[in-house]
Amino acid sequence: MSTAAAFVGVTQRFGDFTAVDAIDLEIPEGKLTTLLGPSGCGKTTSLRMLAGYSQPTSGTITIHGVDSTRLPPEKRGLGMVFQSYALFPHMTVAENVAYGLKIRKVGKKETNQRVADTLDLVGLGHLSASKPKKLSGGQQQRVALARAIAIQPRLLLLDEPLSNLDARLRVQMRAEIRRIQSETGLTVVLVTHDQDEALEMSDLMVLMKSGRIMQSGAPREVFSQPANRFVADFLGYENFFTDKSGIFRTIRPEYLSLGGDKTGERLEATVVSTAYRGVDLLVTLEAVDGAGQTVRLIADVRNAAAIEPGQKTTVTADPAHLVPLENSGKE
Amino acid sequence: MRGNGTRRPVAATLAVLGYIIMIVPILFVVATAFSAGRTLRFPPEGFSLQWFEAAVTYDPFMESLVSSLYLAIGATALALLLGVPATIAIHRGRIPGRGLLEGLFLSPLIVPELVVGLALYQQLMIGLGLDNLTTLLLGHTALLLPYAVRVTGASLALADPAVEEAARGLGASPVRAFLTVTLPLLRPGIFSAGLLGFVTSFNNVPLSLLLQDREFRTLPVTMLDYVQQSYNPRIAAMATLILAATVVIAVIAERTVGFAKIFGGINR
Repeated sequence: MSTAAAFVGVTQRFGDFTAVDAIDLEIPEGKLTTLLGPSGCGKTTSLRMLAGYSQPTSGTITIHGVDSTRLPPEKRGLGMVFQSYALFPHMTVAENVAYGLKIRKVGKKETNQRVADTLDLVGLGHLSASKPKKLSGGQQQRVALARAIAIQPRLLLLDEPLSNLDARLRVQMRAEIRRIQSETGLTVVLVTHDQDEALEMSDLMVLMKSGRIMQSGAPREVFSQPANRFVADFLGYENFFTDKSGIFRTIRPEYLSLGGDKTGERLEATVVSTAYRGVDLLVTLEAVDGAGQTVRLIADVRNAAAIEPGQKTTVTADPAHLVPLENSGKE
Repeated sequence: MRGNGTRRPVAATLAVLGYIIMIVPILFVVATAFSAGRTLRFPPEGFSLQWFEAAVTYDPFMESLVSSLYLAIGATALALLLGVPATIAIHRGRIPGRGLLEGLFLSPLIVPELVVGLALYQQLMIGLGLDNLTTLLLGHTALLLPYAVRVTGASLALADPAVEEAARGLGASPVRAFLTVTLPLLRPGIFSAGLLGFVTSFNNVPLSLLLQDREFRTLPVTMLDYVQQSYNPRIAAMATLILAATVVIAVIAERTVGFAKIFGGINR
């Protein structure tokens, strides 16, 4: 697999604050890479350095093997979609999409053709003469996407592209972006704070925290084998404990069950509370032994009536889903 | 005064009262301009257009009108030429002490105009020996700079900086991105700054009073002189003509850009 872009020891400092701390990262060609993490983790700063809007304090950024660390954005040939979409409000949809082509001195006929093709790709062919203000958020987002794709960028960079859309549309657009990516074969780098989005869309998922990369890999790999407590926490693991052999482990609430009929790690616990969530029941318990550890598990809603606060029970962990973590200390 | 008048009786009453206080005296002036009599009095005696003819054929008015227009257009152009780049530097550049710099550009709003006028008189006319026109032009330019800086600055602050970045990302050089994206977005702000500047300069009395001489007089000062000597409807006719011209400009501005857009730039 060839590399479209690479960060080598890249650091970005703003005064005393280190936004990105010596990261090394290879963006694979033709794949969709997501930078995932909570706000302030350095994901957007990394994307902006890749786009050329800010320059690293130290380190090197290469694009297709060429050192591009100090190259201004207009010389990089990348397509960027901003969180605010940043459409040109005084131009029509078609003029927005044609902007980059005009600068590249593409002929009028070809420009029109490419604008029409790109707008068709994002499903907005019928709105080419509209002004951005007249469009819905989802449509504006598609225009921003079309504008970035029209220049046939070497990389397509998306900065939280779905965060301003409503929940239903967001899920739709995930598939839409994935479709566009596979149809165009573009290398895409997407920044998000939404783990579902990253899991669903990525080929490569890069989890960041405090300017560092905590783990990277295929979504399946990262999800089933989080490397440390931060990654596990971020991906929704809830139960952290040290087992009898002294290994720090975690397990998702889905893989714990009530009752001692199965084989596996067991724990005596008292039910503290239950929360009805429609599809399932979230049960919070407290271990009976001295430590008083909190345990959360997900139970079948049909058993809701049988589970009451104060009740003593046995919690069993499915051994196949017990994940060992590298650090035992709390973050 | 946005909002529903019926739900906010106090605000609505104050608004109506404000309009009455502003508009009624103007109506009196307009009415007396059509008088057939010889004195400035209400109600007017009869109806005639003779005082309009008297106003437009009165050389001091017409000469000073040309001077005022010349001065207002020149000073507005100069103020925009200096103020717009300064605003962009203040808002988008990495300048240390930009708050101080903006304060400096806004200071002509605070210093009494008579003081500015006297200072310009002493330094530029007496000190450097500049003529009246140049000094007036410089004085008015300084007076209009706050409008150029503040109004364009406000519309710049409202514009999404990512828009310019998007243009750069699509391949535009910094100059091209500015000309094709930033400047068009600033157009309503620049237009309103120009309009406000023009009106401010055209109406200005204190600076003009101190800095003019016999050859170069502005219309407001000439009109001021006129009412001190004679009290007839010619002055009302001249005032009405100015009012009419202002209304025409306002209508054009509303049709082309829209007041909401023009003055939206002022409220940050």
